Parts: sequence; structure tokens; C-alpha cells
Amino acid sequence: MASVPSRAALLQLYSNTLRTSKSFSSYNFRNYFIRRTRDTFKSIQNEQDPDKLTRFYDEASKELEVLRRAALINGMYGGQKLVVEREGAVRLRGDT
Amino acid sequence: MLSRSISRQVVRNHIRCVASTSVEFRRSFVSPSSTDRASVTDVGPAVVRQIQEDMFAPRADMLGFKLDVQPQAKNSSDLKARPIYLDMQATTPLDPRVLDAMLPYYTDMYGNPHSRTHAYGWEAEKAVDEARQYVADLIGADQKDIVFTSGATESNNMAIKGVARFHKEKKRHIITTQTEHKCVLDSCRKLSEEGFDVTYLPVQPNGVISLHELEAAIRPDTCLVSIMAVNNETGVIQPLKEIGAIVRKHRGVYFHTDAAQAVGKINIDVDAMNIDLMSISGHKIYGPKGVGAAYVRRRPRVRLEPIINGGGQERGLRSGTLPSTLVIGLGEACRIAKHEMARDHAHVSALADRLIKGISAKVDHVVRNGDPNGYPGCVNLSFAYVEGESLLMALKEVALSSGSACTSASLEPSYVLRALGAAEDMAHSSLRFGMGRFTTEAEIDFVTEKIVATVNRLRDMSPLWEMVQEGIDISSIDWSQH
Ligand SMILES: Cc1ncc(COP(=O)(O)O)c(C=O)c1O
Repeated sequence: MASVPSRAALLQLYSNTLRTSKSFSSYNFRNYFIRRTRDTFKSIQNEQDPDKLTRFYDEASKELEVLRRAALINGMYGGQKLVVEREGAVRLRGDT
Repeated sequence: MLSRSISRQVVRNHIRCVASTSVEFRRSFVSPSSTDRASVTDVGPAVVRQIQEDMFAPRADMLGFKLDVQPQAKNSSDLKARPIYLDMQATTPLDPRVLDAMLPYYTDMYGNPHSRTHAYGWEAEKAVDEARQYVADLIGADQKDIVFTSGATESNNMAIKGVARFHKEKKRHIITTQTEHKCVLDSCRKLSEEGFDVTYLPVQPNGVISLHELEAAIRPDTCLVSIMAVNNETGVIQPLKEIGAIVRKHRGVYFHTDAAQAVGKINIDVDAMNIDLMSISGHKIYGPKGVGAAYVRRRPRVRLEPIINGGGQERGLRSGTLPSTLVIGLGEACRIAKHEMARDHAHVSALADRLIKGISAKVDHVVRNGDPNGYPGCVNLSFAYVEGESLLMALKEVALSSGSACTSASLEPSYVLRALGAAEDMAHSSLRFGMGRFTTEAEIDFVTEKIVATVNRLRDMSPLWEMVQEGIDISSIDWSQH
């Protein structure tokens, strides 16, 4: 098993996952993965247990790979605008 | 060996070069063919007309609606935006993570999971076994108890007809409820044609059955009690644990639950709830359409007569090659659902609250149908003095349903709402708001705004509403005299 992830490594993983989440073309998927990424990384912010941190890091890294592929495919086939998006980005960007 | 293959490669490349240059010599981007050499085959006007008719003319069953042909839709910015999807009980979007798990099995790993003699079969079988484990984990079952099917409709048919027909020599009675999904009711109707007795339990005004009535309905010749977990129109949750305890007291009576709308959304444990048979659907839990599962308890063993006979796959209960890719998608959807259930539930609860508060703050005479403690992702509201269908027609920017997907095409009021005791006009004026994992707060705010505006506009046009405003009690009017 890999050694305990450093704080910098976790932050790096967080920003990569967030960036990938933002790259989904479909409004609903994009917003979900942004919300979920923030949620999950916040939940381990104060985690001290090295075992839990390691497990979290491994799982989140695997998930990042999944999201990267999924976002690419989503960009190829999805992403037609929804009526909420047309109303103005201002309203949506509140949670971004 | 090595040198031979290299030299062959060189020769082949050489040939290819020659071939392509000779083609380019004749035609390239900068040398258009001269008019005399251009040859267009005239297919004749009749053929063209035929093609146009086949491809673009509205069919008779499209009721005059036209098909918007929008190839490459997302690239042009002036296209119509897609409506907001609030119909999660009809179907849910496929989670992108599920699609990612499926794609390898639509490309290189296409083996038949039942092939025992080569790696293609083994890898597919291994993935199917993993999927089976994920489905089992979500409902507290053993993986050997899971039978893959084409969906909840097939699972319901298999469980209800299967158990009844297997025990038909000694037992001829089935109990179900009035608010079940059409496929359960129709399976029961078929069995009553075959000579079985079916009791359709009524529900209380909140949509929940009475446990006393259930207990009283069980007879010595009852073989099956089939009661759904979460209702697809109202979100009402039946007390599965209490029902399971009652059914377990009676030897030889099996408990089946249609959990298509429940699995992955609320906690289900087949042992704690004494469930003997259960139906699961893939496309209600962010998985693919066309796949589902049946839980069939092995200890104590539930015996049933299979509907589909053949090669003996799935313990002989459902023969036919497993659609491994779909099964893997269902498994991944279940794995994610187990992981995300708490977060999804909290999210959907907050959205439901927001929707109900937002609408009732600005519209009067709104009634919520069904038990408010049901599944929050399904909110069924009746807007008095407004016709549900006209409301739907006016709400072009929201994809909603006025009832279950299968009955929404008819103009009959929902039988589920009627069973709850809703008056016909209230059943007519209901809308079902189905929210899920991917629904956002901004969408709920948008929909709330549209609903408020539309309901108020429709009411302003309604003579009934005018009378209500003047204090006339509409229900006291004898319409037949007019
Ligand atoms: C409660 C219930 N049972 C069964 C079904 C049918 O499921 P499937 O489409 O997987 O056959 C549905 C969906 O319409 C449902 O809501």
C-alpha cells in the first residue's frame, strides 16, 4: 500500500477532480460532480487517520480516471443547453 | 521470422503508397472533375418522394406533431434549449460512471459470460459475478439469490405468475394492493383468468395499506402477498418490515415486493424485512434500460415456475444469454447507489422542501397527494381548479408527468390517486415532480417560478376559479341542471 498522501498531494487531487468535473458538457452532470467533489474532499479535510486518508486517496484517484473518460464522452455526445442555462449564467455560477 | 515479417511489411507499405498516389493523381482537392466526366445517377422523382415520405413525413401516430431534425444540435447556438427533466420515476439519466464501466464490454470484452472454454467468456463471467455481488450488497442479499432479467416488469411477472403457478395444486389465492404498478395488476388479472382468487387491498387516504386488513385477508390457500415498496406516482412507502413480519407468521405464504422505485433510494434489507421475492429495475437507479433483477430467496427456498425456458441460465429461472454489458451497468449503478444513498437522499429531500415551500408560498389550494413521509424524490401535487393536462401543455420548458409514464397518454384520472380517495377533479389536476441525484437547486427555482406563473394564469382564465373567489361552493352546484 502506498504511503500516506501528503496534504499537497490531496490538494492537487482535489483541484484536478474539480477541474475535470467542470469539464462535463451536460449541465446536470457538471453540477453534480462539482458538488460531489467539494462534498467528499470537505469530508476528509480534518481526517487524521492515515489508513482512511490512504484509502480515500486511492479511491479518489481511481475515480478521477473514470471522470476524465466520462467527461470526454459526455463532450462528444452531450451538452445541449438546458432552459436554465439560457436564463443567464449568473444564476448558475453561484455554486461554481 | 522477424526479418520476414518486416520485409513483408515494407512490401505492403510500398504497395499501399503506390495505390494511394495513383488515386491522388486522378483526383485531388484542387482538381475538380470536369463537367463532362461528372456522372450523377438520376434516381427519378418517385424514389426521392418515397425517401422523403419515409424519413420526414409525420407518421399517423404522431398526432400531427412534427419531428425536429436536429443533427449536430449542440454546435449551433441558436437552437431551442432542452426542457428541465423532472420525471425521474419514468426513468433516470444513465450515470456517466455507469457508462464508463459498461464501455469496455461494448468494445474488446464482448465474450459470452456463459462460454467456459476461453478468456473472452471468463472475463465476461467474472464481471457479471461482480455485478451480481454489487446488486446483492445493496439489498443485503446473497449473490446467489440474484436473477438478472430485462427489467422490473419481467421480474414482477416472473415472481407473481411463477409462485402462483408452481403452487397451484394447493393454493389459489393472491393478495396485492389497488395502487400497484400496471404490470403487477395485469399479471394478477391474468392469474384470475386462470382461476386464481385475487384480493386487491384498498389503501388509506395517505396511500399506506392497513396492516389489519392485510392480516385479515390472508387465507389458508394464500400463496403470495405482493406489495410495492415505493409507489411510482405518489412516493408512498409501504411498511415493508411490518408486512414481512405478518407474512412470515403464515407458513407457505411468500412476500414479493416491487422495489423498482425503492432500491438504491431508501434502505432495503431483504432479511430484516423478511422479503422472499423482489423486483429491481436498472433504469430507475441511473443504470441502463432493458435490464433488471429479481431477488429470489434460497433459504428457505422459494420455488417458482419459470416463464422463460431454455438453456438453464440463472438457476433455470431465466434462460437466455445474459446481456453482460447491461448487467455490468446495473451492477455499477447499484455499487454507486449504495455509496451515494445518504448524500442523494439528503439532496433530494432539500430539493423537495424547496419546491413545496416555493410553490405553496405563492399558490393557494395546492394539495400534496400521499403520505408526506414518503420518498422525497417523488412529490405529487394537485392544483385545484386547474386541469393537469392543460398545465402540462403550458409548461413546455419542464418535462413532467401527470401520472405514471404508462398511463400519462390517457386522459383518465390516475387510478392510484383515486385509490387514495382523491376526488376526480383533484386526480385530474395532479402533477408528479420527480427529482434525483442530478437535479439542481437552480432547476427547482426555475420550475417553481414557471408553475406559479402558469397556475395563476390558467386560474385567471377559469370561470370555476372566479366562482371560488366569489365564495360560491362549487361542490354544492348541481351541474346536471344546466
Ligand atoms: C413501481 C414500478 N414497477 C415496475 C416498473 C417497470 O419497470 P421496467 O421498466 O424496468 O420494466 C416501473 C416503471 O415504470 C415502476 O415504477
